[in-house]
Amino acid sequence: MPAKKKYLTKSPFQRFLKITAGFIGGYCVMISFHQLFGYVVEPKYVVITAAFTGYILWAVLLLLAFLAESAWKVWLSYALLTLLFSLPILLKL
Amino acid sequence: MNLRRYNIYFHTHTISGIIICALLFVIFFAGSYSFFKKEISAWQSNTSYQAHSSQPITYNKLLDSLNQKHNLKGRDISFYFQEHSFDSYVDMSASKDSTLVPKTAPVKETKGRGRGRGRGGDGAYFKYNFIKGDSKTYAESYDMGEFLYRLHFLAQLNQVPIRIGAPFGYLLAGVVSFLFLFALLTGLLLHWDKIVSNFFVFRPWSKVKTVWTDAHTALGVIGFPYQLIYAITGIILIFNTAIISPFTYLFYDGKGEKLYQDLDYSTSNEYTYSYHALEKNINIETYIDRTKKLWKDPFIKSVIIKNYGDTAMHVIIEGNANRKYSFAGTGRIIYKVENDQVVYHKSPLEKATYIDKVKSLIYRLHFGDFGGYWLKIVYFVLGIMGCVVIISGILVWLVARDKDNVPAYKRKFNFWLANIFLAACLSMFPITALTLIAVKVNPATDQEFIYRFYFYGWLLLSAYYIIRKDLKRTNAETILLGSVFSILIPVANGICTGNWIWNTYATGAADILFFDLFSLTVGVIGLISFYKIKSKAKIAA
Repeated sequence: MPAKKKYLTKSPFQRFLKITAGFIGGYCVMISFHQLFGYVVEPKYVVITAAFTGYILWAVLLLLAFLAESAWKVWLSYALLTLLFSLPILLKL
Repeated sequence: MNLRRYNIYFHTHTISGIIICALLFVIFFAGSYSFFKKEISAWQSNTSYQAHSSQPITYNKLLDSLNQKHNLKGRDISFYFQEHSFDSYVDMSASKDSTLVPKTAPVKETKGRGRGRGRGGDGAYFKYNFIKGDSKTYAESYDMGEFLYRLHFLAQLNQVPIRIGAPFGYLLAGVVSFLFLFALLTGLLLHWDKIVSNFFVFRPWSKVKTVWTDAHTALGVIGFPYQLIYAITGIILIFNTAIISPFTYLFYDGKGEKLYQDLDYSTSNEYTYSYHALEKNINIETYIDRTKKLWKDPFIKSVIIKNYGDTAMHVIIEGNANRKYSFAGTGRIIYKVENDQVVYHKSPLEKATYIDKVKSLIYRLHFGDFGGYWLKIVYFVLGIMGCVVIISGILVWLVARDKDNVPAYKRKFNFWLANIFLAACLSMFPITALTLIAVKVNPATDQEFIYRFYFYGWLLLSAYYIIRKDLKRTNAETILLGSVFSILIPVANGICTGNWIWNTYATGAADILFFDLFSLTVGVIGLISFYKIKSKAKIAA
């Protein structure tokens, strides 16, 4: 009954990229996404709400990284999303 | 069903599950017992809260005796309470009055929570029992309630000298809960299509593997909401630095204190030592009584006295609203002792803020302390069900790979992994029950005794079952041993202290009585399952 190998990522490097993309990239997306709300509501509400939504979002992003066909695309899209979400900060600097 | 996705869910679920299963079992098992932390503490120390619950807490007596011994002038003294307990952690700082302690520099005001932080000079930290009137050091007062509670977030592993943002044990517990959340998510998606059709499928009399699979899915799906709550609140409680620290930089310019003030964990009030002696009789209890009246019988969480005997002396009282009036309300009141004025007041009875609500949601859901014993028992059962899901998960994993087309070396590895995990996990039940007997038999228990007895016992038992390498035997025998020891818990209590079940019933010591009856029930249920396993094995043979 174990999962069928033909559907899984074979290359160890791709797998490594996916795991790091999910953990690190997913984390960056999650944090940068939440900080956007700091412009709308008081930061303290964002922080306390992120306790719930943040971890769930992070876990979902981790899973999405595994579902993707190519690990490079995951890294690229997570990096772009982080960049996009942090634009307000970057522009201010 | 998308086959590719299905297989990815399957694989990620398997891998994350097998990585965390052993530690998660420890967390769930110890955590389930920790619902009864106060009952275990009351049971072990033989001091019932219920039997004395009407007795007032006598702060003045303790403060007087501390004053005689240590001279409280210029010190901060904090009392931390837990519900249904007369034990209080008392934290006494060194004096800020540099004329009194010329050798040590005045201790800086420390912010943040945590036990005994920022104590310097001749400060002290101890546990005081307001019924017995005795004080003990933390290590002396260490009991099984505290041990199991701390084991459930792997605090004992903090000894490992690796530190990445948090002590090692907490970090590990945090990582385990995050992977647990991930495994829950993938597990749910994996079973999503069959969730309704398989809900009523339970085939305990067919093949061995289907038993484990059905148990794993059925109990996993039933317990899903509960486990999801625990995965999330668990990470928040043990490892929220993952969220807090980036936001501290993004929103608060790296000023952690500001964030903690915003989240209402601390106040911005400063209490600077004035070097003017307070010409007044100090009676802390009047402030407590005043607050209790004001807040309609709340639970007083902590009482913090700043700058004792100085004109800048303040009393900070924090409490939760009586559950009758508010589920989420938390309050804080600050009195200036010199003129008896209230300098800050947030009543727990006024409408709870959003922050209050989320925080109480996290705590109440995690501690299961909002509905009395029955709720806790339901929580305990669900927690043990989580343990069963973990064990059956390991077995599904093993049985699914125990096939002819799997190379022999891999099968060997798989077997040993399952063998070691099962032995280590399942021997927790007997060793927990046995240690509970041991702390009754040995009156001089402290942290070291519990550590030695529990951890060496655990090691021996697991080693024995690892060597036996018979999974069925491990399963059946640990249940048998654990049940017998559990049944002996009330007997040990009766023999060693005379607190037989009928005596505690008569004196109204509900907490002690509860734990005895609870252990007895656990033991009896365990014995029944043991005989069921045995008779089924006979039929199969």
